[in-house]
Parts: sequence; structure tokens; C-alpha cells
Amino acid sequence: MDNKYFHSVILQEDRCIGCTSCLKVCPTEAIRLRDGKARIIGEKCIDCGECIRICPNHAKSAIADNYLDIIKKFKYTIAIPSLVLYGQFPSKTSIAQMLSAVKNLGFDEVYEATTGSEAITTVIANHILNKKHEKPLINSSCPAILRLIQIRFPDLLPNIIDIETPIEVTARIAKHEVSKRLGLDIKDIGVIFISPCTARVTSIRNPIGIERSYVDGVVSMKAVFGEILRNLGGSCKEQLVRSNSSSILWPIIGGQSRALGIENYLAVDGISEVIKVLEEIEMDKLDGLEFFEGVACLGGCVGGPLTIENSFISRNRIRTLAKSLPPAEYSKEYIDNSIKMYEDGLIRLTCEIEPRSIMRLDNDITKSIKKMEMIKEILKYLPGLDCGVCGAPTCKAFAEDIVRGENPRSVCLVKTMENFRNKKRN
Amino acid sequence: MEFMKYTFDVEKDDFVRAGEASSNIKRTLRELGIDSAIVRRIAIATYEAEMNIVIHSVGGQVELEIDPNSIKVTARDRGPGIPNIELAMQEGYSTASEKVREMGFGAGMGLPNMKKCTDRFTVESVYGEGTTITMEILLKAGD
Ligand SMILES: Nc1ncnc2c1ncn2[C@@H]1O[C@H](COP(=O)(O)OP(=O)(O)OP(=O)(O)O)[C@@H](O)[C@H]1O
Ligand code: SF4
Ligand SMILES: [Mg+2]
Repeated sequence: MDNKYFHSVILQEDRCIGCTSCLKVCPTEAIRLRDGKARIIGEKCIDCGECIRICPNHAKSAIADNYLDIIKKFKYTIAIPSLVLYGQFPSKTSIAQMLSAVKNLGFDEVYEATTGSEAITTVIANHILNKKHEKPLINSSCPAILRLIQIRFPDLLPNIIDIETPIEVTARIAKHEVSKRLGLDIKDIGVIFISPCTARVTSIRNPIGIERSYVDGVVSMKAVFGEILRNLGGSCKEQLVRSNSSSILWPIIGGQSRALGIENYLAVDGISEVIKVLEEIEMDKLDGLEFFEGVACLGGCVGGPLTIENSFISRNRIRTLAKSLPPAEYSKEYIDNSIKMYEDGLIRLTCEIEPRSIMRLDNDITKSIKKMEMIKEILKYLPGLDCGVCGAPTCKAFAEDIVRGENPRSVCLVKTMENFRNKKRN
Repeated sequence: MEFMKYTFDVEKDDFVRAGEASSNIKRTLRELGIDSAIVRRIAIATYEAEMNIVIHSVGGQVELEIDPNSIKVTARDRGPGIPNIELAMQEGYSTASEKVREMGFGAGMGLPNMKKCTDRFTVESVYGEGTTITMEILLKAGD
């Protein structure tokens, strides 16, 4: 399974009509049209899901698992629904009802994702903020942003907080607790995550910063929404809700920063805005900034590509639910224990996040310069319309593809027409 | 030897486009595969030079020259020039207006930072004619 360039975002060829919509929105210019169909360049894709969202023909989708298959493989199964799920149903639905509906899909137990967000908040606020660290600290929770930083902002890798994501932390705590409580072997316990996020699907199979994920399967929230909805009316044995009024707000942009109680923070959503602000951070322009919360999706994970409900509506619902929850209060014992889990490496990113210089033209600078010169020369002959008809998102990308030898057959139609017209005139 | 040159125009008071030259230069260097710490140094120095043209001069150009051994940035403007270079080079010295300070510039750290970020740094200025700043970072063989 550990394919180096595994991606959850895929193309359903028969649906793609070659319209170029996705070429334009891809923040890493990872899509090309070849033979009239969109192709994703695996090396460049960060799984942000922008192309899934924009595609008018629904030709882009995400691969995820079928939970029924996974349930069969384990003695005991735990579902972790993303907190985003809480915003997908009408306001009158209680969290307990939703958790029961998820459990009734066939799981033995449900764990709330706030198990993770609370532990993370506790460790950052009580431990990491007091340590010496490159500032601003950058959140590690959005895998699309981590991959973006690897590719475009390698200098900012040391700023990333070396703590796992809420889902991973929840999965780890859940497995350890259940194993202790029921005397089960960890490997007999299966954790399935219900995801609003394509990047997460990828990062669970191909993790960044850790060896192996504790999550054994990921299902798309979109795919199981209907079943959960149908289960809502079913038997609802009392489910314990553990979330508090701030930990539940993690999937909403700014939720992490506010939970941490940091004063000088920036919370930015939407990948193009994140890029702009990271540029400023990289240039040392944001003096005194302590924490940067950057997420790829508009509004936060509530805007994830695998959600059903509009992100504004779901944001509002989660806020309403938050009002009925108790405020965050953590005991000394809980804080110490969380820090210990971090120090012991259980919830920590233990592998280095490596830079990935895919923008580079060549490993040899002399050759790079030569290639760059060629690109400059080719660009002189191109119209600069960035129309996408050639299959590349911009004229510059087209020129680059030629020089990299990746595009031997494509032609610039605009230029060809112009030449044709000129010939006719002469 | 392989050699490349790019030129970017920088206009007086054009705060909307300000920073474009340094962003472009950053991207170019990254594509060339230059070490990211060096890219960052050049980008910061170029940004300072670019902003000085926008804020303090009547307009000019930023030029990037690259060969396998070094990266050179030249920021040239058409005036008015710096009357006292030694003074201008002092940390904290600035003639920026109140308005410019409100925008977050005018700490008087631009020129000292350019010097700090680069291996070779020179300012030439003729009052009434213009200023030319040249900055160079040397690339180790194999970079
Ligand atoms: N290109 C230029 N043309 C004319 N005067 C300049 C030019 N560059 C700098 N100066 C003068 O030198 C002074 C110091 O420049 P420096 O870049 O160090 O600080 P600053 O631009 O005032 O503030 P900061 O760069 O910290 O925002 C400026 O205030 C200005 O008087
Ligand atoms: S914002 Fe959330 S849903 Fe969107 S890519 Fe990042 S982690 Fe996934
Ligand atoms: Mg300055």
C-alpha cells in the first residue's frame, strides 16, 4: 500500500471532458491535460481537494475505504468521526444522537475526536509554548498545508509543531485505553476515521512525520452520510459526550488558536491566502507573531472536500452545539499525563519532515541555468494568455514542461492560429 | 559559462506591486535549485532594496544576475540619491515620513539588513542623480 506517490484524489476518466477548470485552481500546478483528460502529477499533488470541489462534471473524487471490509478484520472496532460531522445534521440533533448513529453502523465503540484536540491543546499551551522554538509556531493539523510547506516553504519546516493531528492522537489514546480496559492486543483493535478531508486520507496511508498511522481505515464522510442519517432515529443507548466548548471548535478556522489562548496569532484559511501569509512569514515580515494556524479549506475542516453541508451552515451549528457544552478545564494530572505522552513520543511527530524540492529544474546549477534560459526563450514566443488549452495551467508551465521533456507532443493553439493567419495574409 | 539576467521595473509609490521583484526572484532561485537559506537571504535583501526604491526614490530597476558561482542583485534608481551614505547605513537612521512609518516601514533597518544578508555589498550614490546598490551572494561549488 505504501506507494510513494499514493494520492486519495483520483480522476474518473469517463467523466472528464478536458475542460481545464481544475488546471487553474491547483495551487501546486500539479494537473495537466494529456490526450484530452486531466492527469495529476503525483509528485506535486498535496491532496488539498481543490480540484474535486471545482470539477463541474464530478470527475475528481477520493479513494477511501469501505468500513464494512475493515470491521471484519478486527476483533474490536472503534469509529472516530471527524468533529465536522457535528455540523452536518439539523440543529436539533444532539451530539449523543450522532455518536450513537455512527456506532450503530456496526462499530463496538465511538471515540470523539476532541480526545485528540484536547490533548494537543494541553501540550502546546502548557509545554511547547514554554520551550525554545522557531516562531511563529505553525500548526501541524492540516496535512495539505504540511505538504505545501515541504514543497514551497522548506525554510519554515522547523516552525511546525512536532505534535500529531487530533485524529492520530485520538486513535492512539483510544487503542491504548481500550486495550487496557478490555485486555485486548492493540493489533486486534481497528480504528476507522470518518473523514471530511482528502489530504487526511492520503496522510493516513502515507504519513508525514511518523512511521505508521494508528488509523486502520478511512471512510469519506460524504459516502457514509446517508447511512448515518438513517441511523439517527435508531436506538440511542446513552453515549458519553466528552467535548468541551472550546475543543469542539477545532475544525473551525481560528478554533485552535483560541483554544490555546494565544494573543498574537494569525488564523488563515484557503490555500491561496495561506501561501500569501507564509510568503510574509518566510521573509521575516511578521515580527512578534507567535502562532500561525493555516488550513487549506475555506472556513477550516468544515469546508473539507468530503463534506455534505455548506461550511458556513455547519460552522454555525457547531458553534451552537458548543454553547451547550461545559468550558475547558484540565486537571493537573491530565496536563502532566498529556505532556508525558508527548515526551514519550506517543503523540509526537518522531520523524523529520523533509523538504521536497520538486520546483527545481535540475540538480546541477549549470544545467538549471541552461534550462531556465531555454524557458525564457520559449516564453518569448508564447502569447502569455495562460489559457490552458495546451494542457498546462500557464504558458510558463507549458514552457517548463517542454524543457523538462515532459510534453513532447502538445502545441500552443493560439500561436499556431496566429502563424496560420500571418501566412494567409502574406 | 552559463549566465542569466532578469530585470524588473520598480515604480515610485507603487505599493500594490511592491515586493513583486523580490517574489519573482525568490521563485526563480528556487526553480534553479539554489539552497533555500540562500534564497531567503537574497529575497530579504532584495525586498529591502525594492522597498527603498518605492519609498525613497523616483523609481528604478532591480536586476538579477546568476551564474554557477554567484547571485548578484543590483538595485538602481534615477534619483534623488543619498546625501550621506554613512549616515544612511546606520541602524535606525530613517527619513521616512510619518505616513510610511504607519505602514510599518521606516525602522531604518533596510540598508543594514541588506549588508547583513549578503556576502558583498556596495552603495554608490550621487546626490541629484541616483543610487545603485549591488549585492552578491557567493555559491559554494556544488550548491
Ligand atoms: N534608494 C534610495 N534613494 C534615496 N534615499 C534612500 C534610498 N535608500 C535609502 N535611502 C535613505 O536611507 C535611509 C535609510 O534606509 P533604510 O532602508 O536603512 O531605512 P528605511 O527605509 O528608512 O527604513 P526600513 O528600511 O527599516 O523600513 C532612508 O530613510 C532614506 O533616507
Ligand atoms: S483544512 Fe481540514 S479538511 Fe481541509 S485539507 Fe486541511 S485538514 Fe483537510
Ligand atoms: Mg528601507
